[in-house]
Amino acid sequence: MLVALPFFIDLFYQTFLTELFVWILFAISFDLIFGYTGLLSFGQALFFGLGGYTVTIFIQKLGIGTELALLLSVVIPLLFAWFVGFFSVKLTGIHFVIITIIFALIGNIIGETWTELTGGSDGLTFSPPPFSFGLFKVNLIDIKGNYYFVLAFVVLSYLFLRRMVQSPLGKVFISIRENEDRARLIGYNVQRYKLIAFIIAGGLSGLAGGLYSLTLKYAAASYLHWSISGHAVVYTIVGGMGTLIGPVLGAGIVMTLEHYLVDILQSTDLVVGIVLVFMVLVAPRGLVGLIQSKLRRREPSA
Amino acid sequence: MPEPPQTILKLVDVNKDFGGLLAVNRVSLSVKKGELRALIGPNGAGKTTLLNVITGTLRASSGQIFFHDKEITHLHSYQISHRGIARTMQITSLFAGLTVFENIWAAVQSRKKFFNPFIQALKWQDVKEKTDSMLELTGLGDKAQLICSELSYGDQRILEMGIALSTGPELLLLDEPTAGLNSQESMVLVKKMRGMLSGQTIILVEHDMGVVMELADNISVLHYGSILAEGPPSEIKENEEVKKVYLGG
Repeated sequence: MLVALPFFIDLFYQTFLTELFVWILFAISFDLIFGYTGLLSFGQALFFGLGGYTVTIFIQKLGIGTELALLLSVVIPLLFAWFVGFFSVKLTGIHFVIITIIFALIGNIIGETWTELTGGSDGLTFSPPPFSFGLFKVNLIDIKGNYYFVLAFVVLSYLFLRRMVQSPLGKVFISIRENEDRARLIGYNVQRYKLIAFIIAGGLSGLAGGLYSLTLKYAAASYLHWSISGHAVVYTIVGGMGTLIGPVLGAGIVMTLEHYLVDILQSTDLVVGIVLVFMVLVAPRGLVGLIQSKLRRREPSA
Repeated sequence: MPEPPQTILKLVDVNKDFGGLLAVNRVSLSVKKGELRALIGPNGAGKTTLLNVITGTLRASSGQIFFHDKEITHLHSYQISHRGIARTMQITSLFAGLTVFENIWAAVQSRKKFFNPFIQALKWQDVKEKTDSMLELTGLGDKAQLICSELSYGDQRILEMGIALSTGPELLLLDEPTAGLNSQESMVLVKKMRGMLSGQTIILVEHDMGVVMELADNISVLHYGSILAEGPPSEIKENEEVKKVYLGG
């Protein structure tokens, strides 16, 4: 359906959906660390912004091809996630949350002030050269081409994560989420596996940022703002953490409501706030949790 | 002639100091292969702290701990698990939101060296078989698909032992397995334990003297962090000092 869709909707909605795909990728990468490993990072904007800037700066300032720039938008945030994670995963609970916020805040301040490199809050615009991979060649200036391009990466990332959470490695992550002390006592090096999850999520957040830049042909310091991290948290909680499909639905619903209600309520933050409060009160396990419990109630109890 | 049983755990002058309070005070202790050693003593005697020091959950302030003649004093708890020591907690410690099967699975899988992110975990045939056999051993096979928080408290205690056993330990530390159970439930648990744990080397912390007298080969009595007496149950029962501080005359 998503493949045929661009032929039936106008350019505005094609761009809207492309952006939605990017936020879905960002949210599912967050779900890996939050929903599956139990790490509430409020600093994922750092990796998103780094990915966005990597693509933009490498293409605009260094004249590098889109293929390599996009690859680097995974690798560079991944290395930063390694560094940030190295210090952060030693901490637990609220201390972990705070240190991730601090790292992201530092990134945001550097983005705002190092204007020769980042363009500050005005940002940098660029025009990406076509992406070619083997026989495929995608013109990213073309909105439809861009749509399929982003969709492909998001679908692949989703399948990658879906497989990972059902894999032996995923089982390790889940056991850490459920009971860190018990995981340690049965022999898991908890810090190492937290770091691995954090690095993978950082790389995918970077990819989301890179695709976002390619879609908007633009990157700015606002990519590094804490509210970007908030997007991932909200979509995941609304949709249902630890499910992967939850953040997909969460992003879809929240962004759609934002789009249609912003004229009435005059503020997207207000829409997000109302949706979030409503969901936390009515369905603390998110939309997926709500659906699951409804289905379970329908089954005859054993 | 059979060889005499070897010592597998040896503590030498182990201290644990909490800012001036000696919770464990110069404890030296040897446990032989196949032995069931009970660790008893009044509340606050340092029993759980001693277990925490052995499993690396807490670092000893001084002294040395040897497992199979290799020093483990400064290892992390996950490393100690791989050396072959497992434990259960005084307050049940499970993967609460997961099924019984998944709980055992996590423990069985922990013996693997590499966790491939690209394969389906459930296709790991040897892990699956081991998990099934551990479920059978614990008698929880028919409850395998229940979320473990739905189990009865007694079954949760059994499950935690199953998790510990699934790491294939050479030494198992049990911290008050009957805590929170009434005497009838305790009897059921002890009966199951006998089946599950036969031949296993165990250190058992326990308040229920009936359980201790029934299961223990030897008893160490801890009082204010130090070992007050040590010996077979019949001796400990008659020890005047132990009677005074613990058994209540």
